[in-house]
Amino acid sequence: MTRILLKSRLDDCLGAWRTAGFSVLAPVKRNELTRFDEVQAASEIALDIVITERTIKEHFFLQTEPLIKYQISKKQIETEEMLPPERKRVFFGVRPCDAAGLDIDDPLFGWDYKDEYWFRRREGSVIVTIACSQADDFCMCTSVHLAPDSTKGSDLMLHPLRDGRGWQVVPHTDRGKALLEPVAPMLQEEVAETAPVPDVPVKFDLDKVSSWLSDPANFESNFWKEISQRCIGCGSCTYLCPTCHCFDIQDEGDTYNGIRRKNWDSCSFALFTMHTSGHNPRNTQSTRWRQRIMHKFNYYRGKFGVNSCSGCGRCTRQCPVDMGITETLHEISNLPR
Amino acid sequence: MGIQEQYRKEAAELLSSGAVKLVIGYGEGTTADRRRPVFIRSAEYVGRLVLDANCVANLSAYLVQEGLLSDGKKVAAFLKPEGIRSMNILAAEAQLDPEQVVILGFDIEAGQATSLSGRNASDFTALIGSLKASGLSPELQKEADRLEHMGSADRFEYWKAQFSKCIKCYACRQVCPMCYCRRCIVDVNQPQWINTSSHTLGNFEWNIIRAFHLAGRCVACGGCDRSCPVNIPLRLINHRMAKEALDTFGHFAGESADQKPVLATFRQDDPETFIL
Repeated sequence: MTRILLKSRLDDCLGAWRTAGFSVLAPVKRNELTRFDEVQAASEIALDIVITERTIKEHFFLQTEPLIKYQISKKQIETEEMLPPERKRVFFGVRPCDAAGLDIDDPLFGWDYKDEYWFRRREGSVIVTIACSQADDFCMCTSVHLAPDSTKGSDLMLHPLRDGRGWQVVPHTDRGKALLEPVAPMLQEEVAETAPVPDVPVKFDLDKVSSWLSDPANFESNFWKEISQRCIGCGSCTYLCPTCHCFDIQDEGDTYNGIRRKNWDSCSFALFTMHTSGHNPRNTQSTRWRQRIMHKFNYYRGKFGVNSCSGCGRCTRQCPVDMGITETLHEISNLPR
Repeated sequence: MGIQEQYRKEAAELLSSGAVKLVIGYGEGTTADRRRPVFIRSAEYVGRLVLDANCVANLSAYLVQEGLLSDGKKVAAFLKPEGIRSMNILAAEAQLDPEQVVILGFDIEAGQATSLSGRNASDFTALIGSLKASGLSPELQKEADRLEHMGSADRFEYWKAQFSKCIKCYACRQVCPMCYCRRCIVDVNQPQWINTSSHTLGNFEWNIIRAFHLAGRCVACGGCDRSCPVNIPLRLINHRMAKEALDTFGHFAGESADQKPVLATFRQDDPETFIL
């Protein structure tokens, strides 16, 4: 016997969460774009897509985040902190890779300094993941040792039923258990078979990649130049990545009044490491691409014990020149050694 | 012999004779219908070149990669008519010498790649001239008409919804052959001339700046539109600017390598009392 949520009860379920004070965000297609956004009814939710084009990251680490308001007068400087409001949110229908992305980024935002903006949103949010029932040619979760039904980062996991009537509901955290309380009347106990998860082929050998990247002799390898030749240096892969987290601090306003903001930044951009002097330690696209790969699969792992990739495949799926992590790591796996 | 075999053979000859140092073309991509840019430096690798109806990207942006043509040597590039037009503009704006580019021209007709005769930019002037009257595809015309018939308030709301999606990844800029500035105005940061924030206002700023800079220069290759990861219909903005340049000045961007850039030239008998 397992707990089941039927699709026909989803509206009641969303209603109960909203009555309990939660905003519900789910995958939607609006203005020709799939992303997570607030929904009122189940009919608005796009449940049949492989993965949203944008990630849920943007609801925790905003593309532009106001930090403080400042006012400079003759005698003093006044500042006002602009923390996000404390909101209770349910993210319904998250993919396992996106949920894992949040988990991967947690230690980064809480390492030397606890990022209030990230954690206030994290603590107010419950992640309800739906295990994948389809994958496309770009999915690569299995290559980074995750799976279409990984529970990493999920408070509650829904497994689609074989007959398509709904989902088996499995809580994985206290927060997930608590979220089930207001919807208990909508759940039923039943013996039901869950649908098989899709077969996502393994596209590279992560162990081989790790050892090659950690060998200092490969840092200046010609491989980096060859693999990144066609990179045009846009930030699409980094901004669509569920784990990329780099930002830039900018003051917006005039000399006396303004807002200090935290804006997404990308290691793909030439400006990213440009010094005030004009010197740029990463002055070519190949050194920038190397940095992206090294950061995700070497430095991050060294510091936090986990690779900074959850295998969503967006970097390749949406790359204007069909590049991405998969190809690079596949090529590294096959290098002679 | 199909066009793919013909061009592979020609690429091999160009490389082995030393006529060109590099062939910029298309290769197989991640999926069966995807093509990716490839760079072939030796005749032994021409088998990697693919040419079919899926080869839609305008590869001319790679011609102005820093340092590529500075040694005076030639390169060959697979270019569609739009690519040849943008190459002409690059020549007209003194970004490259068209003598250094061997054009392996092709077009896509009825789902098939077909070869174009001629290998130098000047060989295609008549062909490009004939495209001037070709107009938009029926789908694009429908979208353009819909916007044209909106009231200004509705049109503003439409673009607000579209630009709100922008994440300032600059894929549109990076893929565009016309965006060759080594430092884009939005990257000038000492001081920061234009806010980097990707809120709705900032996104309007960015997209309008780019539209202005492309007026009379865009060849409608569709690269920005296809590259946009958040599906902003950039083709509609660029089409509107191109239409303005054509209707007002009879200017069809990239007709030839010696065409004067429409917004960087003037006539002494200009009816206006000032020049902006």
